[in-house]
Amino acid sequence: MGSSAVRVQGLWKRFGQQVAVAGIDLELPAGKFIGLVGPNGAGKTTTLSMVTGLLRPDHGTVEIVGHDVWRDPVEVKARIGVLPEGLRLFERLSGRELLAYSGRLRGLPGAEVDKRATQLLDVLDLAGAQHKLVVDYSTGMRKKIGLAAALLHNPEVLFLDEPFEGVDPVSAQTIRGVLERYTASGATVVFSSHVMELVESLCDWVAVMAAGRIRATGTLAEVRGDAPSLQRAFLELVGAQGRDAGSDLDWLGGGSR
Amino acid sequence: MSAGALTPVFIRLKLSLLRNGLRQSGGRKAAYITSAVFALLFAALQLIGLIALRGHAHAASVVVPAVAVLGLGWAVMPLFFPSGDETLDPTRLVMLPLRPRPLVRALLTASLVGIGPLFTLCLLAGSVIAVARGGAAFAVGVVAVVLALLVCVALARAVAAANVRLLTSRKGRDLAVLSGLVIAIGAQIVNFGAQRIGASGLGELDPAGDVLQWVPPASAIGAVHAVSEGSYGRAVAQLALSAGALAALLAVWSRHLTRLMTSPDGSTLPTADTAARERSSTGLAALLPPGRTGTVMERSLRYVWRDPKTKAAWVTSLAIGLIVPVFNAWQGTGSVYFACFAAGMLGIQMYNQFGQDSSAFWMVATTISSTRDAYVELRARAYALLLITLPYAALVTVLTTAMLGDWPRLPEALGLSFALLGAMLATGAWTSARFPYSIPQEGYKNVAPGQTGLAWISVFGGMIGAALLCAPVIALAIWLNVSADGDDFAWLLLPAGTLYGAVLTAAGLRLAAPRTARRLPEILQAVSKG
Repeated sequence: MGSSAVRVQGLWKRFGQQVAVAGIDLELPAGKFIGLVGPNGAGKTTTLSMVTGLLRPDHGTVEIVGHDVWRDPVEVKARIGVLPEGLRLFERLSGRELLAYSGRLRGLPGAEVDKRATQLLDVLDLAGAQHKLVVDYSTGMRKKIGLAAALLHNPEVLFLDEPFEGVDPVSAQTIRGVLERYTASGATVVFSSHVMELVESLCDWVAVMAAGRIRATGTLAEVRGDAPSLQRAFLELVGAQGRDAGSDLDWLGGGSR
Repeated sequence: MSAGALTPVFIRLKLSLLRNGLRQSGGRKAAYITSAVFALLFAALQLIGLIALRGHAHAASVVVPAVAVLGLGWAVMPLFFPSGDETLDPTRLVMLPLRPRPLVRALLTASLVGIGPLFTLCLLAGSVIAVARGGAAFAVGVVAVVLALLVCVALARAVAAANVRLLTSRKGRDLAVLSGLVIAIGAQIVNFGAQRIGASGLGELDPAGDVLQWVPPASAIGAVHAVSEGSYGRAVAQLALSAGALAALLAVWSRHLTRLMTSPDGSTLPTADTAARERSSTGLAALLPPGRTGTVMERSLRYVWRDPKTKAAWVTSLAIGLIVPVFNAWQGTGSVYFACFAAGMLGIQMYNQFGQDSSAFWMVATTISSTRDAYVELRARAYALLLITLPYAALVTVLTTAMLGDWPRLPEALGLSFALLGAMLATGAWTSARFPYSIPQEGYKNVAPGQTGLAWISVFGGMIGAALLCAPVIALAIWLNVSADGDDFAWLLLPAGTLYGAVLTAAGLRLAAPRTARRLPEILQAVSKG
């Protein structure tokens, strides 16, 4: 597939004095498992918010499968699924009610929503907790129900902000399985993370971000280059090499307290 | 660490927490200083009042219940304001190697620092002055004040320690949100009691005083009164009761502390299995229209019941909307037009619709892609509101009319109510889109810091706007009432007011929809601060 799922041009966002995103140009290929990596504060969440239409950029354009996010929301919103970070869900609904609400809001027929919700709840191992209020869910369960809500309308492109943050290994494996199956069918997943090992094991395409700019893009092999791991390549890219804090803490460990 | 060293540490901790809390923001500082000034002013007034009561035949019947109410206040306070005092939560100290006995002593001493204890001290001192006669009585009074103050503080601590599991759980935080209601209803009861006492004198309190003088901490003040009357035996018994209560409270508190410090806290325990029971569709869903309209209505109505903030707002609106016209009618000072109050109060629920969603509004924002979507969303929210408000406003109007027996005015009162409701929905929809603000999900505040101005513009600007929009109907009502044969046509106000309200609502929604659709990211940002 040669076409691009997301095309970003000259994207800027400033909060007061601080520039969160400083002119990003990015073209993400369709049908890939794409990782947006960078340290905390790199601008990943801001970028994803602007790309998904939740935050208005100061400058720049965003196109998703050929449609402008801000000029053509009807085409875009039906084609994307979003799992933002740091925003609430309607937590006083049960897991099942939340899916029913979100599916119907998107205009899917009720019976179809209920059928898909049942399957998603099963696959994501939430069937036992489906009648519990989301406010009583654990972090992992919240991410899973959020993912289910984002997948319910079978979007072409799925944006996930830190989907594995605070998630236990079992839930993480479940989420992984669902996402792998989803991309295998030709859909695109864009997810952000600061855990390099995770990105390395999941993604086939990577964009590295630091201080509001894109530092490198390409397939995993291209970005990794000669470095032994993505972690190493990443540290070189963001210029955080070789800080040794050892000598200042000479009292730490050893006999005397 | 020995107890002697621990106590000053805790007092310093309390003072630093107080200071740092104030340092966080100017607004918080101002609020704290204002509340402190008011509390102290109130305490001073109370002190003067109690001193003035000295020598009154029923003085003991006033101060003993007052101290009992104070004790009750200390007991319920930690349930409603769990975050008010960070030193209240002993689980924060769990990692420190502390023994319960010195810890109890240090925490108790630290609890004596603050406005609350100072206020209590003023009231207790005033109570002693009011009832004590003779040197012996004052000597007992000093002991009584100390004892009563310690009982109050220990009571708050023991209740907090016993309920830490509740206070740190979701249910406990939900409970805290309803505290405003309890205070409002409590104020009504006090108001009602004060009116009765005003009508029939302080003697009304004698039976209450007789019973409460045996209930700690009021029994300590009862002892002062007993000494003044020369009944020393009774005084000893009453003091012993308070001292016994203090010892018992300290023992209970100490036991709970030990258990708390050595067992997992509420946040790590699995939640009660009650939530697992089937929350099947209420059957309401089947009656609602299909598509976005029904979906949004169902969610809104569920939130009225399940979301503590929304529920508290609704209960307040429903209660005040009923109390004002009906109580006024009951006391014979009312008018059927007061019934419009119900419509006005309930219409407020349309304000800041998206703020009520908090940051979950993103789920709505990602599904609104046209003005039409925004219109249907807002209209569905208005429908959900009307489902409750329309019958309720009608009921309150009929009830008020029945109490006043002013049946000929029922149609026009209904018409005015519906016109006002329509105007409130219209301005509410518009301000929801134009001036959204965050409602913090925890605690009892209804506006996020820094957005108070926005909230005022939204609610008060909107209400004034609604009143202005209603002007034609009000003018019509006045004209029909003053003109010679206007009474014959007063019934016209019912259809006219209803129609006018409906037209206003439709127009408000039409105006609000494009603005909502255009400003989705800005609205999301505004409502995500809580």
